[in-house]
Amino acid sequence: MSVTAGLSVTSLSKSFKDLQVLDKVTFDVPKSETLVLFGPSGAGKTVLLRCIAGAVDADSGTVQIDGDDVTQVPPESRGVGMAFQNFALFPHMNAFENIASPLRAQRQPRLSLAETVDSVARLLKIDHVLDHAPRELSNGQKQRTALARALAAEPGLLLLDDPLRNVDAKLRFEMRLELPRLLADRQATVVYVTQDYKEAMALGDRIAVLDQGRIVQIGSAAAIYRRPANITIAKLFGDPVINLLEVVPEREKQAISVQVSNQQIMLPHAADDVIGRPCMLGIRPEDIAITAPDVPAAVPVSIEAETPLNEKIVSLAITQRGRELLASRPADVASPSAGAAGFLFNGDGVMLFDRESERRIDMQSDSGKKTA
Amino acid sequence: MSASILELQDVNKVYRPMRREPVHAVRDFSLTVNRGEIVALLGSSGCGKTSVLRMIAGFEEVSAGAIRLGGRDIHGLAPAKRGVAMAFEGYSLYPPLTLKENIAIALKSQGIGREQYEAKVRTIAQLLEIEDILGRYPSSVSAGQQQRVSLGRALIREAALHLLDEPMGQLEPQLRAVLRGRIKHFIKEQRLTAILVTHDQTEANALADRIAVMEEGRLQQFDTPEEIKARPANLFTGTFIGEPPMNTLNATARLEDNLLKFHLEEDVVLGYPEDAFATGLRDRLLELEQVTIGVRPHAVKLGEQGVSAKVYANQWLGDQSHVAMHFAGSNLISVSHEHVPVVTGATVDIAFPVAELHLFDSRNGTALSHGGDPVEVPPVT
Repeated sequence: MSVTAGLSVTSLSKSFKDLQVLDKVTFDVPKSETLVLFGPSGAGKTVLLRCIAGAVDADSGTVQIDGDDVTQVPPESRGVGMAFQNFALFPHMNAFENIASPLRAQRQPRLSLAETVDSVARLLKIDHVLDHAPRELSNGQKQRTALARALAAEPGLLLLDDPLRNVDAKLRFEMRLELPRLLADRQATVVYVTQDYKEAMALGDRIAVLDQGRIVQIGSAAAIYRRPANITIAKLFGDPVINLLEVVPEREKQAISVQVSNQQIMLPHAADDVIGRPCMLGIRPEDIAITAPDVPAAVPVSIEAETPLNEKIVSLAITQRGRELLASRPADVASPSAGAAGFLFNGDGVMLFDRESERRIDMQSDSGKKTA
Repeated sequence: MSASILELQDVNKVYRPMRREPVHAVRDFSLTVNRGEIVALLGSSGCGKTSVLRMIAGFEEVSAGAIRLGGRDIHGLAPAKRGVAMAFEGYSLYPPLTLKENIAIALKSQGIGREQYEAKVRTIAQLLEIEDILGRYPSSVSAGQQQRVSLGRALIREAALHLLDEPMGQLEPQLRAVLRGRIKHFIKEQRLTAILVTHDQTEANALADRIAVMEEGRLQQFDTPEEIKARPANLFTGTFIGEPPMNTLNATARLEDNLLKFHLEEDVVLGYPEDAFATGLRDRLLELEQVTIGVRPHAVKLGEQGVSAKVYANQWLGDQSHVAMHFAGSNLISVSHEHVPVVTGATVDIAFPVAELHLFDSRNGTALSHGGDPVEVPPVT
């Protein structure tokens, strides 16, 4: 490989007393790309970010930035920009001075310094509070000031720890759409931590899913959404959450299928080794179409409630065996809203997980092979 | 049997803090809740929604106006005598009691038999997925679990009215959709009447039959979620309800070449046949110096002949695409349930069909028309 990665983390481990928070974490981020670190709280995301920054010493493993091993380099010499959660702003400086502080250290001429601060502040919509002291800022504004400070310095590597966490929903949505452009303009390599799967999918060129100190999957948003490595990941992405049903695949004549409440669901791409194995069938709510109750191949259900979710409508239904299923559809699609109905599974959306290991079982179609 | 169970009539709340200006938190607030209905009080923090709830519960005095519950004026009636069940945010659980005891505390006073008691607790615990933790104490469970217990304690009670204050704010995101469905089903099945206070429109939309949108102590609109979305009463409601929010563009209307043309910033013009708008409405639009055009993100159709916009972001979230564009000096968002294959930097065609336009008077935000139909202006009284 000749291309130097913007960031290479190799076999990084860290324990606090008996608790191992990072377990041989390894990944690369190509130059100018954004990697999102995603995972439940306590997964080790922030510690990993701090190890990369040098604020926490790893027990073992290496960190390379633009090809240089910086594992032993002190944080201030790593050329890294950071915006951490609760990142303390200098209390005696106003927002402008806080954002400008790293630029002053870089000895930028005064005029361009003011321009840089103003332009970043405008993009982050804090240009009207630049003369405010940190204590006069809302939490969301403080967070954006810290983000502006990290961006203004134009470091080669940017580490952002949930920078939109305290920002209100509307602004958060706007920032989610604007941040990629902001980051692309600076050509920075970015590691971005979030707990919001939508933010992860929207911002990451790739997403690394961290769980209990390990990277359990790394890939594009689409790949993780459609082909999650395990049940935990499948449940972390998507709103409403993926439906999971206990099934045991069986062979009937030529085909492999599972029973969902007296209805046979065909698995045309499953391999023979799933037969008789306790599995979980996963199907995302948007991959279920609501039909009349007597449609062939549809699971007969009774719809209990309809709850709008943004521009979608979510139907909670119960199967004849008492299992709950969620289906969602665009709000402008008409559909039975109560009582007897059928749930028709979109075959491409059906996933199969091993019940014991909880890992997804690859079905042939996933690898792009054409089936006859 | 009368349909209404709760009536608020010209209710006002004025707080008079020492040595400070009085705060008029709720102004001339009138609302009728029907038996078996779920009503959401929705607004951002400080809009007065919690004050309204606290007045209904009896925790706050009404400064002016009247509240009737079951036809009876409840002024001066102690909270416990109002027959109202509550789940309040931060309305803490009793630490020395187990979660089960916390949930069942209200049943004790209702004097029901052991068997019925167990069955009720079981139903509620299953509904809220707390069966496994019933024997634990509040301090040993998560905030989300505490909230579910608090909700269970309210739902298990038989009461004329259930008041739920931000009941799902702390809930684990993966549980929310299922719980919303179950709770709605439960409330309907048990024929409870519920008032829900929330700042989260997703929660209000999911649960409520009707939503009362509040801002600055005033009721902005009270209607079904569908109606509020289709026909917002003003620009505030229009941009507040809907996720992502409605796109807005400022325009001046002119009659040119037999077309009604909206002149936007950066010399962008949207033209419509003269008769696309009713005559009275058209005259009104032409009179006004400026109107605000609102278009929902789901109604912005890409690839249709019209005007052009430049894409600055396209984000696929698994079940929807969010495309952000620069258009007429503003940002314009389009949301689609399909995967949209446009790239950043591309120029795309967009159309604004009349049926999707919401027009507002820019001076005061009053709605003028929805989909070309004029808004009936109520006579001045």
